[in-house]
Amino acid sequence: MQNNNTGTTTNDNFRFFGLGGSNEVGRSCHVIRYKGKTVMLDAGVHPAYRGMASLPFYDEIDLSTIDVLLISHFHLDHAASLPYVMQKTNFKGRVFMTHPTKAIYRWLLKDFVRVTSLSNNANSNIRTSNDDDNLYNDTDLVESFDRIETIDYHSTMDISGIKFTAYHAGHVLGAAMFQIEIAGLRILFTGDYSREVDRHLNSAEVPPFSTDVLIVESTFGTATHEPRITRERKLTSLIHNTVVKGGRVLLPVFALGRAQELLLILDEYWTQHSNDLGNGQVPIYYASNLARKCLNVFQTYINMMNDNIRKKFRDSKTNPFIFKNILYLKNIDDFQDFGPSVMLASPGMLQNGVSRDLLEKWCPEEKNLVLITGYSIEGTMAKFLMLQPDHIPSINNPDISVPRRCQVEEISFAAHVDFQENLDFIEQVGAGKIILVHGESNPMGRLKSALLSNFKNLKNTEKEVKVYNPRNCVLISLEFKGVKVAKAIGT
Amino acid sequence: MSSTIYYKFYSQKDISRLPFDGTGITVFDLKKDIININALGDGTDFQLKLYNPDGMEEYVDDTQVIPRSSTVIAKRAPATKSIHSNVNTGMRISNATRYVIGKPKIFKKLG
Ligand SMILES: [Zn+2]
Ligand SMILES: [Zn+2]
Repeated sequence: MQNNNTGTTTNDNFRFFGLGGSNEVGRSCHVIRYKGKTVMLDAGVHPAYRGMASLPFYDEIDLSTIDVLLISHFHLDHAASLPYVMQKTNFKGRVFMTHPTKAIYRWLLKDFVRVTSLSNNANSNIRTSNDDDNLYNDTDLVESFDRIETIDYHSTMDISGIKFTAYHAGHVLGAAMFQIEIAGLRILFTGDYSREVDRHLNSAEVPPFSTDVLIVESTFGTATHEPRITRERKLTSLIHNTVVKGGRVLLPVFALGRAQELLLILDEYWTQHSNDLGNGQVPIYYASNLARKCLNVFQTYINMMNDNIRKKFRDSKTNPFIFKNILYLKNIDDFQDFGPSVMLASPGMLQNGVSRDLLEKWCPEEKNLVLITGYSIEGTMAKFLMLQPDHIPSINNPDISVPRRCQVEEISFAAHVDFQENLDFIEQVGAGKIILVHGESNPMGRLKSALLSNFKNLKNTEKEVKVYNPRNCVLISLEFKGVKVAKAIGT
Repeated sequence: MSSTIYYKFYSQKDISRLPFDGTGITVFDLKKDIININALGDGTDFQLKLYNPDGMEEYVDDTQVIPRSSTVIAKRAPATKSIHSNVNTGMRISNATRYVIGKPKIFKKLG
């Protein structure tokens, strides 16, 4: 363990150790220790890698020392190595997530196992060993699933002196921020969060209790988002213009979460512009069985979404997630590619699977459009496409490259805070120590500088704000003097 | 004759076995095989460290031979950059690429 120490390292110090997601986006996993208690935050995989290479650096700590593991939301980069941790390692702690996260997690990881197995078979001729890339199988999933405990928003658990409360994080259905209290010290972990009310989710909440250490995402660094309405208009007009010219639109999406927001936008637009769009002659397809299976989860948890969508649900007595203009494609082989269409397909970063196959099929034609709406992780095809390459490599035949003439556009519906939203939240939380996670090195570095200059007038005062951007497996050790003990006694 | 070496990733519960020919295997070959079998990647962003389970002493010499039927502990760690002022390049990156591209570390280099 390297030491990025700012005070004396004793067992009384608060310690932060990132196993993944530090100076990177992917494999989110952080360990915090204070007064002999250990909490792990998230257990993700890195979407640009496969198998063991995608794991957080679990060998760097003794997993048996973890008391509690909290999962912020169901995205693969936050939750997909959980079955591995629970089944394949000496981890013995208790695991918590919200109800909707658990409900979706179940289907999602089943699909993750299936997809990984499929791509193993497809690539079996180039594998050098007979092992596969699956980190766990269906049995591991089932066995671990029952041991996952759930927590309600705004409720507090106390597990042998570790108190934690879940707050709304926006971002996706079920996403939570956790405020953890150990011996009077309060730590807030944001996970991925958004501060904008969109079509179905609420903005993230600022917890009512003060926070000493804030562990906050930095995905967009110092970038600024356009207003939601502008982005929606751009999205629908790009799609509209493409299909009226006979083009196909590919929207690579992660099957659950932000895709449902896009479907709400598109379904409404298609209803309102039915005349211009040939009265149902331009289909919108959603190639996801997984999403179809999870529809009832979205229906069940409408009470956890924002007022707008709850009102719509109450007034119309219909489930807003049952769309009028969206066709679920059970099997991509049933898809008849005759004319203009809009297709939402997974995976969101085009690494393999249906979205990748469609990309290779459609990208040679100028009139077609690939519209990236999610955050694209370094090392994935989606990220590569942003460079507007002349050719892209074929996934099934490494000797072939496919010419790329189609339009490539990016409009973010990723539901991560931009700089202003992040700064505003950070100021409201008011923590003296800020640890940045979930960001590529450059945007994270810029965010750190921007925060330090924002708080520079507090320098050398009692309220000085310290900002850390550690790399994976570089220890942060923070000293909190006696204050905390007094606080704990006083309350 | 086929021999076996046992290895366990530090965080894992189970011990894995690795067959090889001979009475012992070099640290270099063992690392290469473990990286390969577990598809750990091209080696640029991680290091693989091997330890003797008694006392967790690291096997730092690639040429050291580990006798067959031994058990070793493996750790996958991030690649690190460190600054070495006495080396012309200034920056030393510690990662596992040499085990993937197949060139053992030469300890005594001329010049
Ligand atoms: Zn997320
Ligand atoms: Zn994320």
